[in-house]
Amino acid sequence: MREITAAVLENKRIAENIYALVFLTEEEIPVRCGQFCMIGVRGYPLKRPLAVCKAEGTRITVCYQIRGGGTKTLAESCKAGEKISVLMPLGNGFTLRPEERRIAVVGGGAGVFPLIAALREFQGQKQLFAYMGFKNKDSVCLYYEMQRGEKLVLCTDDGSRGVKGTSVQAFLSDIGAVKPDAVLACGPLPMLRALKSGTKGLDIPVYVSLEERMGCGVGACLVCVCNKKDGTHARVCRDGPVFRLDEIEV
Amino acid sequence: MADLRVNICGVELKNPIIPASGTFGFGREFDEIYDISCLGAVATKGLTLKPRAGNPTPRIAESRGVILNAVGLQNPGVEHFIEHDLAWLRAKTKVIANVAGATLSDYEAICARLDGLVDFIELNISCPNVKCGGMAFGIRPQDVKEVTHVSKRALRKTPLIVKLSPNVESIAMNAQAAEAGGADCISLINTLTGLAVDIERRRPVLANNTGGVSGAGIKPIAVRMVYEASRAVGIPVIGMGGITCAEDALEFMMAGAAAVQVGTQNFTDALACAKIAEGLGAWCDAHGVERVSELTGTLKMNREGA
Repeated sequence: MREITAAVLENKRIAENIYALVFLTEEEIPVRCGQFCMIGVRGYPLKRPLAVCKAEGTRITVCYQIRGGGTKTLAESCKAGEKISVLMPLGNGFTLRPEERRIAVVGGGAGVFPLIAALREFQGQKQLFAYMGFKNKDSVCLYYEMQRGEKLVLCTDDGSRGVKGTSVQAFLSDIGAVKPDAVLACGPLPMLRALKSGTKGLDIPVYVSLEERMGCGVGACLVCVCNKKDGTHARVCRDGPVFRLDEIEV
Repeated sequence: MADLRVNICGVELKNPIIPASGTFGFGREFDEIYDISCLGAVATKGLTLKPRAGNPTPRIAESRGVILNAVGLQNPGVEHFIEHDLAWLRAKTKVIANVAGATLSDYEAICARLDGLVDFIELNISCPNVKCGGMAFGIRPQDVKEVTHVSKRALRKTPLIVKLSPNVESIAMNAQAAEAGGADCISLINTLTGLAVDIERRRPVLANNTGGVSGAGIKPIAVRMVYEASRAVGIPVIGMGGITCAEDALEFMMAGAAAVQVGTQNFTDALACAKIAEGLGAWCDAHGVERVSELTGTLKMNREGA
């Protein structure tokens, strides 16, 4: 966990409302898949929590969707050569047990970015089956990165590219054939809820990466909590962002 | 190198920089980023007698130059703190235990429990985010005096800081009320109550509706209140509200603060407190100031001004 100043290599639009920010760190900072960075945006007191999509030595790529003023400012005003303030690496990341060999990877929208990191990290070690959903053909991005597994089912809500429907629908219709030992997932809350009800009683561990508005990003301020089944709160930034879906309320 | 030590109620801090309650936990997470023993003290996350779950999320929102928070005093309870964090934190630096309660007897009990175990107790009588989180005691001067008196009665060893709310009629009167109740020191300002609206949903951004406003945008209000409060009392004042750099800290000290707390800036820059402490030394050296404590209360107002 380090607070660093990083140099921006590029910050470009890769799909509708989606940008890829690439920066260089002075020294290599090991990042596991599912971990994230807090990225400073000029003029905003809060850093933005963004999942690491690719970690290649000192070269880190985060992808983000424009959601509000902060991400809009980041997209419009952060240029190559600029210095940015970054706190990283944060959170627990995705962990798979040795016996979990056949892995379904289910993503929706901006949720595909940490899963791309997972596909990159587990490629060659696990059998990966990816189900990635987007709004429409214009929002599809990083297609080549999603093809690292045995299989990729690309879905769009309007059917303008790939299969019409959601990634959860595609995954659930395939579940009997794929027989996954575990599922990695990230996406909007309705998607996680559909995944939860669809996998209920199947005894397949589902590891989800959650999104929440954050303050410190390190576990000190208790802003980004989620509710656990046992009635306690967990810190999304520190205890997560990856949780077992059956242990949290979504 | 300038002498950055400050003495507050007989306790010596190695410098006047203190991370503010609620932004720094009990220091453990930030200590993974830098060695927090470089700080004058740490003000802990607000503690209550029993653990508290806090408010629903979202608990944080942002507006231009400021943030709003409504965490709702989530904390593991004072016993958990004593057992798990206190010894570790005290080995690092001075400890200001921030405490809150719903009743006068809560305040009395938590003060009695922590007496002699920490370097200071800071009464949170001004948390705007919970119905019984002390705000009821932080508004009217007679209530400030009473909660201070009851808390002070429980303390034999540890000096008492009363943290004042800015959401009041007269900060000077409330500062005097704390002093009259037996406070050894006051700290201010806590957050200003605010509201952020999600215009698409036509709903508040925060689950709690309102939240406490903090960050760079509130600094001039805080500096003014620190000036007014410090003129009204004879006890030391700890200033806070929107400090982002050493220069900001100096404004508070000149306005009357013996030490300062830094909150929101810890989110903008995790190294903020360490950098501000360093910057304070550099400023003093560049300006021929031998002891930073000399600067407290040196602000001279314009004669023609209000």
